[in-house]
Amino acid sequence: MKLYRHSFVILVLVMTLILPGCWNRKELNELGVVLAAGIDTVGNQYEVSVQVVDPSAMSKQRIGDRSPVLVFSERAPTIFEALRKMTTKSSRKMYLSHLRMLIMDEATARRGIQEPLGFWFRDHEVRPDFYIAVAKGRRAKDMLELVTPTEALPAMDLYKSLEVSEKSWAPTAAVNVRELFQTMTLDGVNPVLSGLTIKGDMEVGKQLENAKQPLSFAEYQFVGIGVFREDRLIGWLGEEESKAYNYIMNRVFSTVGRVKCPGKEGDFVVEVTQANTKMNPMIKNGQPHVVLNVFVEANIGEVHCKVDLRDAQVFNAMQQAAQDSLAIILEAGVHKVQKEYGTDVYGIGEAFHRKYPKQWKEWKKSWDDMFQNDLKVEMRFDYNLRKLGKIIGPLQKESGE
Amino acid sequence: MTNYGNAFANHLQDNIVAIKKAMGDSTDLVIREMTLAHTCNIGLFYLDGMADRQTIQESVIAPLLDRVDDPTVSLDVIRMSMLDASDVQSVQSMDQALDKVLSGSLLLLMEGHAHGLIVALPGWEDRSIVESKTQPVVRGPGDSFIETLRTNTTLVRRRVKDVRLRVCTITIGSESKTDVAFMYLEGVAKEDLVRDLKQRLEKARVNQVLEGEYLEEILQEKKRLTIFPLLYNTDRPDTIAAGIMEGRVAILTDGTPFVLLAPTMFVDFIQSAEDYYQPYVFSSLIRLLRYAAFAICMLAPSLYIALTTYHQDMIPTQLLLSLTAQREGVPFPAFVEALLMETTFEILREAGLRMPRTIGQAVSIVGTIVVGQAAVEANVVSAVMVIVVSITAISSFAVPSYAMAIPCRILRYIFMGLAATMGVYGITIGILVLITHLCRLDSFGVPYMSPVSPYRKKERKDAVLRFPYRSALRKRSGAK
Repeated sequence: MKLYRHSFVILVLVMTLILPGCWNRKELNELGVVLAAGIDTVGNQYEVSVQVVDPSAMSKQRIGDRSPVLVFSERAPTIFEALRKMTTKSSRKMYLSHLRMLIMDEATARRGIQEPLGFWFRDHEVRPDFYIAVAKGRRAKDMLELVTPTEALPAMDLYKSLEVSEKSWAPTAAVNVRELFQTMTLDGVNPVLSGLTIKGDMEVGKQLENAKQPLSFAEYQFVGIGVFREDRLIGWLGEEESKAYNYIMNRVFSTVGRVKCPGKEGDFVVEVTQANTKMNPMIKNGQPHVVLNVFVEANIGEVHCKVDLRDAQVFNAMQQAAQDSLAIILEAGVHKVQKEYGTDVYGIGEAFHRKYPKQWKEWKKSWDDMFQNDLKVEMRFDYNLRKLGKIIGPLQKESGE
Repeated sequence: MTNYGNAFANHLQDNIVAIKKAMGDSTDLVIREMTLAHTCNIGLFYLDGMADRQTIQESVIAPLLDRVDDPTVSLDVIRMSMLDASDVQSVQSMDQALDKVLSGSLLLLMEGHAHGLIVALPGWEDRSIVESKTQPVVRGPGDSFIETLRTNTTLVRRRVKDVRLRVCTITIGSESKTDVAFMYLEGVAKEDLVRDLKQRLEKARVNQVLEGEYLEEILQEKKRLTIFPLLYNTDRPDTIAAGIMEGRVAILTDGTPFVLLAPTMFVDFIQSAEDYYQPYVFSSLIRLLRYAAFAICMLAPSLYIALTTYHQDMIPTQLLLSLTAQREGVPFPAFVEALLMETTFEILREAGLRMPRTIGQAVSIVGTIVVGQAAVEANVVSAVMVIVVSITAISSFAVPSYAMAIPCRILRYIFMGLAATMGVYGITIGILVLITHLCRLDSFGVPYMSPVSPYRKKERKDAVLRFPYRSALRKRSGAK
């Protein structure tokens, strides 16, 4: 009897091991690791393209001259259908967990990104840590097909480039899916996405030839920021305006800025080492008013004009010039977003929501309009030049003075 | 128990016949008859090779021959004043006498006396004391126990010069008649523990005891099924001496250099004697490293299986791609691959252990080439798998006690099965069950996982980490 009971327990235990079985067990060589995906709108359908790693091309015993990645694409009314349809073209199941980049073409972005993005938010396999970009003037599929020279895997190239340039070049805004999701669900803020384009000869750029000489025939570039209202793309910000956006969003880690020398011919370049912006909303005369306190610390990186930096007056003048030039950039950027596009990508509405929740309830519905017409933006700067670098004046002969 | 006669006969010749009969004319039994004062016959019995022939000659036969004409010689006179030996006892029964002869003593019988004398003159070939083979240290004492019980007790006593140190010996095994000695500090070791150990061993009905493992299994409670060692064993006298001073009982078995220590906790197996001979910061770090090695030894292959077959999303992208590239063309699932490699390694290891030293080299060469290179090049296994197996193997050697490496090796396979069926979820379940099991174990009333669980603050100072002596040692004696 006792033995019987024991064997029953053991049987149950063994069954718990076997019954769940291999429910989602998959060997590595059954997976097609998707690193990038693209969504294009073709008529009423989506054309979904995926960039899959070709593992045999990655391994040491590579056969011939194969591309390290393969691009599959399929058309269907929904994203999920299109992805599953791809199994008819590939021996491997598309594995989405390691998605690094999701690219949409402009048409899709202008039609509304909520619908095509739904799948990527919902699917359990997709990890919300990839970047999203809009292909500016190109098809998303083209972006996936480009052979990139620096990294064998184009998606990794895009991903890394975005990460590096976001940290050291202010006009780039890397938007990952989690941030996008947050801005899409909040009221007082509208999303932005970085723009991506290809420069050069696309036909050669799609061939392995593109990576076989020092200078590529075609190369990708992140260009500006796409501004959305709700989930629709309504326009693009140029380089300077994108820079303004990042300063205001407190997303500048390090960048460089060119400034005209005060009172002399030529420019000098500052390297921003620290930038911090505080958004301070207030209500003045019943109207929304926001103060942006911009604190910048910078070093001098390059000087093209003949100035004596040891002179405190000159130095202060340069500091003032740098501040003024930043002010012009920020004001122009805010002006374009506010007056031309009229969409609150800065999240100023959200800042009011936090500080004046009651007032916000009244404003909420007409906020887009208020943002465009009533909101006053005031900027206060605290700009500090710190270091001169290892030389003082421009390079010149000592007797030259 | 035995089938030979129990009492001595009055006549020497009868005794000789009886002894010969009991021992069946064994060729190593030496019987030397002497005649004293023309009338009085004396018989000497010993086993050649067990007793020291030279000493017998000098301290027994020579004094007897000196007074060969003296008629006053009697057994008592011989015992009190003639023999040049330190350990002389009177013996009444044949049983006792033969037992002593069998362990290397000399039996002296005299015509007309129904009792004899036992002269302890053991002198068999010994191994000399060499460095510990199983747990060598860089810094610290180099001696280790040998096969002779007396030498072993001496090695311990030399380290514990305390009058309270008790050595008591019992004999177990109806045929092997192995001497088993308990060593403990009276008043420091728990009385019940010593009594309990002795009773359980005395009650045991076994015919042979050749190694401590026999005792370990006798002492283990029948209901408690476990693969973990519940008694610590070592051939290092310093570890045993330290254990005795902590209030534990050492069980020394004649014929083996491995001494048991009771009670035992899990942490003992992760500690090495050298921890106490190196600076405490270093020792503590090394201990942490060993815990890590223990975990790696147990879990590395299963984690590899779980991650690559269930949780590919947890692997960094670049690593995943390189793993995928390596697995290209490998025909087996990761589980089979791991099983194959682990088993190959276990076979190599077993072969390397058992085979004569001179051809050991060949095994390692074949092992490295076959397992390390050819298998990868032939695409039978992936290169990462070889790395995983190697790390696992090396980690198993980093666990200082061989006794603890064994359950680790067994559990590795169980965890691999769990990982292959349920992924990390399965490993988690396995670890939970394992911890529960470990916490349920106890060694002679001391919880196996103490002082971690139950948490004992006073003893913790020498458990996972080693605290400096000035804070740890003083309190330890008070704690027990």
